[in-house]
Amino acid sequence: MNSLQVLLVKEFRESWRSFKFIWIPLVFILLGVSDPVMNYFMEDILKAVGNMPEGFQMMMPELQPLDLLMASTGQFQLIGVIVLIAVFVGTISRDRSSGTATLIYIRPVSAVSLFMSKWIVAALVAILSAVLGYAGSLYYTSVLYGSVSFKDALIMIVTYAVWLLFVMALTVALSAAFSTGLAATIAIIVIPIGGMIDSIIGSFWNASPWKLVNYGVLLGSDTALYDDYWKTLAVTFCLIIICLVTGVWATRYNRSRTKV
Amino acid sequence: MSLLKVEALTKKFGSKVSVDALSFALQPNTATALIGPNGAGKTTTMSMICGLLEPSSGKVTLADGGDIRKHIGFLPQYPKFYSWLSALEYVEMTARLSGISAREAKKRSEEVLTYVGLGKDMKRLTSTFSGGMKQRLGIAQAIVHKPQLLLLDEPVSALDPIGRAEVMELLKELQRETTILYSTHILHDAEKVTDQVLFMKEGRLVEEGTLQEIQQRYANPRYSIEFVHEAEAEAFAQSLAEHAVREGSNVSLPIDEQLPTMNALMALLSSSRYEIIKVERESASLDQIFMKVAGVGEFTASTAR
Repeated sequence: MNSLQVLLVKEFRESWRSFKFIWIPLVFILLGVSDPVMNYFMEDILKAVGNMPEGFQMMMPELQPLDLLMASTGQFQLIGVIVLIAVFVGTISRDRSSGTATLIYIRPVSAVSLFMSKWIVAALVAILSAVLGYAGSLYYTSVLYGSVSFKDALIMIVTYAVWLLFVMALTVALSAAFSTGLAATIAIIVIPIGGMIDSIIGSFWNASPWKLVNYGVLLGSDTALYDDYWKTLAVTFCLIIICLVTGVWATRYNRSRTKV
Repeated sequence: MSLLKVEALTKKFGSKVSVDALSFALQPNTATALIGPNGAGKTTTMSMICGLLEPSSGKVTLADGGDIRKHIGFLPQYPKFYSWLSALEYVEMTARLSGISAREAKKRSEEVLTYVGLGKDMKRLTSTFSGGMKQRLGIAQAIVHKPQLLLLDEPVSALDPIGRAEVMELLKELQRETTILYSTHILHDAEKVTDQVLFMKEGRLVEEGTLQEIQQRYANPRYSIEFVHEAEAEAFAQSLAEHAVREGSNVSLPIDEQLPTMNALMALLSSSRYEIIKVERESASLDQIFMKVAGVGEFTASTAR
């Protein structure tokens, strides 16, 4: 596993020196902060902008802390995840097409080390970003709307981290299997569009990785969901393992596709 | 005892045969030049030897057996490095991936970078390097783990004459410690650092031997006589029947039993009253041999000039 350690250092250096450890967390923090702050000041913003018809009554919904966390999660799912996919979908395929992978592949390095180093760093960037994003969201939610229990927050964040492990495992595995363009297409179809399909007709089943995130947030108010939650968590972990095994296999299989 | 044995190595891409039943062996501490026109299958052969490509059939065996990747160093034609690593970080990483301990890797990386002439630039990012510096860095990463076999794909093609001379000088030094197989289409460079030449064409081995042997085989020495008057040249060519080829006021004829030595030719010429500017004995240049073996255009008296 010596080569895994060396490759991890290399991946960390890349992500650090290309500022991925800074700008992606910043995106998530902005996304996380925007909902609690925007909603809180919505009335003032509308008043300041003016141009409201005479006698217009504003009915602002009474938002609970949980609603805002749901909204922030929605932002992460809609924008954050796409940013992560776009950044990491070329992590293996681009090395192959540019030829930088050649000088690594000719050395006695296992496909497991090659793939895992890419996945671990991608997942760490993603999880760090999500944790900071939720921290921003939780801070403003508790200041402006009311506190959220530590346990609920923890479950929510850990659940989201598991979801990101899955997203990154799928993204990096696709990168190992296909060219950057094709991998991006498939990832964008599977992750966000899969989520939409799941929310439209997903009532027919109660365990799919796309439900995991919602369960994680809703557990705070609805403990009846625990059964489904565990089932979903198990399904997600199985899919992560399938992605990792396929990814390692694809890395080995596509070794010869590197540009010499 | 040969270091590397390649037996009936074949690679097919669909219906196209890139490398066709290629067999050869490399002796330890020798330098072998793999020569051939573009598309002859040189890069494909190298990729198969270093394990990047799976051969369709045939095999590559190294004397010690085992994982060949531990014992070879490879420099691709256009080496690509991670632009956000410094030269030292890069070579250190490749050394460690080849199984060298951390401390040893650092020491050796500094040594090889100094050796290839990048001592002052080892802390700089590889993205700031010029073409020649990248080639040196490529050589550094290929030799840092002291491989038994060094594979270099067109190591000098992209360099200017100064860079070429420097890289060939490096190879000459390296040859003392390791076995080298490199591809090139610049025979002039191959002349300096070569024990054996393998000539490939359309995936097949068409010639092999030392460069001297091949040179002799294809030299095709001829006499070339330049006359003052074209009419006299024509008359002389006529008198020698079919052997002579006239072109303007120049006559070229093969060296055979009829005129085995320069003296015999001189005697014949002085017995005539033709006015002569120049008589010389010439043989094919390396470039012409390359063209001939590659089958691009026939070797004629006019190309011999």
